[in-house]
Amino acid sequence: MSAEELMKERLERIETVLKGKEPDRVPVTGATTVWHGRYAGYTAKEVLFDYEKSKDAALKVARDFDFDTFTPIIGLEGMIYTVAFLNQPEISSAARFILGPTHLVLQDVYSRWPGYELDENAHPQFIGKEIMKVDEYDQLIENPLEFINKVVMPRINKKLADVGSAEYNAALTKYGLELARFGAFMAELSMEMAKIGYPTIPMSWAYAPLDLIGDFLRDIKNIVLDLFRVPEKVKDAVEAVKPLIIKAAEISAPPVEVRKQLFGTDVVECFYPLHLNEYLNPKLYSEFYWPSLNDIFHKVAEMGQVNFVLFEGKHDAHLETLLEAPKKKVVGVFEKTDPRKVREVLGDHVILVSGPPNSLLIGGTPQKVEEYMKSLLEDCKEGGMMIWPGVDGGISRDAKPENVKAMVDAVKKYGKY
Amino acid sequence: MADVREEFVNALADLDEAKTIELTKRRVEAGEDPFAILEDVRKATDIIGKRFEEGRYFVSDLIMAGEILKQIMDIVKPLIGEKDGEKKGKVVIGTVEGDVHDIGKNIVIALLEAEGFEVVDLGVDQPPEAFVNAIKEHNPDVVGLSGLLTEAIESMKKTVEAIKEAGLRDRVKIIIGGGRTDEEAKEYVGADDWADDAAVGVRKIKALMGVE
Repeated sequence: MSAEELMKERLERIETVLKGKEPDRVPVTGATTVWHGRYAGYTAKEVLFDYEKSKDAALKVARDFDFDTFTPIIGLEGMIYTVAFLNQPEISSAARFILGPTHLVLQDVYSRWPGYELDENAHPQFIGKEIMKVDEYDQLIENPLEFINKVVMPRINKKLADVGSAEYNAALTKYGLELARFGAFMAELSMEMAKIGYPTIPMSWAYAPLDLIGDFLRDIKNIVLDLFRVPEKVKDAVEAVKPLIIKAAEISAPPVEVRKQLFGTDVVECFYPLHLNEYLNPKLYSEFYWPSLNDIFHKVAEMGQVNFVLFEGKHDAHLETLLEAPKKKVVGVFEKTDPRKVREVLGDHVILVSGPPNSLLIGGTPQKVEEYMKSLLEDCKEGGMMIWPGVDGGISRDAKPENVKAMVDAVKKYGKY
Repeated sequence: MADVREEFVNALADLDEAKTIELTKRRVEAGEDPFAILEDVRKATDIIGKRFEEGRYFVSDLIMAGEILKQIMDIVKPLIGEKDGEKKGKVVIGTVEGDVHDIGKNIVIALLEAEGFEVVDLGVDQPPEAFVNAIKEHNPDVVGLSGLLTEAIESMKKTVEAIKEAGLRDRVKIIIGGGRTDEEAKEYVGADDWADDAAVGVRKIKALMGVE
């Protein structure tokens, strides 16, 4: 099959699932932070800081494995930057992830990187930090955009600490250059991928409001304690940041004409990783987490986008709430919730994404992987689903290539309709 | 006195922070034996663990519990001084090399200490040698290898191998802990058990020691 035909076939397969229907077979969408580098013989540091090497490694993986899409996610969570730059759509959208090079330029206090704070083969890590004190909730609530720009940004970024200094001005300028360089890399990668028959699905960015406050302002432990100690403040803060996230989703999506012209499709996946969902008991979840998240799900669906949501950890206790979400407008990647249970509780209300856990790709054998995939596909593929190997952050650095290959082969064998 | 003790256990088990701390202070001021307070802390911690396993409590509740426990210990520990009472057992715990996450590990430590175990916390991003040296120095019953990343699994395996090479594997039980650990990872690493949440981790550590 020619690259063009392959591209058409793969794109159609994914579009069909995203529209809530069954395609010819279940699509398998690969994503990783450093596994492509390991496979191509590069260190983690090399694929995170040298875009040429990351591109080379991603293309090698795409050629050697028959995925339907393959995406290197070479950044860490950075939604606070997207929100901070909300009034400049082109910067806002590009600023979604903390990248190795932008970490060096701004020296953010959240993240640790291979070759710098960590060994050159370590996975980069978002650690977070208490940026906003508990007595500053009122300032956030009163004017969140101003508070994030004036107070939060200088605290997050060591190089922006002294507002207006020579160092500050230089750092911001360099940051802009790095974002442009990253944008060029992504565009080029997308073009090179197309040449070998791999589509790229357009994306936009959203976040659960409570996660934005937990991940970037208060840190995980403090946000949980706040729910017990200052619940009303947290509730008001959630409502205050919600419109900013809705706006982020709106401006980060490429316009329909651009989607069709550049990506050959009208669909757009609005991406959210959920973090506090697993932490919260059902009472806290339904009081502080779910209502605002559900509002955003509906708004994003009204914008003509599909919510693409990583339900990290176990979402079992909260599954039923998803019946309130817009039907077939939420694609759910479930990390540790049994996909059979998702089907049982939600039917086809949510578009199911599942896959083998990384522990199996690391420690298992091709035969074990095949058995796992056979059972998963036979039990769950009815009504349409997608496979996302390594259901947390994508394929782990230490996943064995033969296991990944066995996974793709099993999708072709057992994923047909 | 029995009433205050019961009230205290209930307040802590229900995660009523203000009431628990107030009762702690009241009991200390009344000159109560600090070991009686610690005994009640153990009782309440046990209830919290059970509620977690029954699906009534979640990680959010364990975080709150850890915070209350820390405040109680800050009040009670100075009263005990060096005569620390009898420890139920010793655990060496740390986040393995290449991983710098510690929320889960810290909850486990808070729960273990509240239950009367001695815990040696090695910190995060600890190479295999650090665990080997800690086993030689502290002679623990159980070694806990913590990590959030899937890449931590490989580091856990290397750590277990280093413990074997040092001839120490038979002297300790090893448990791996973290959100991405499972049976498959346990087998691959060569550990004795695994836990993907803190309350289960504490129960399994106790089981590995043969402690109720």
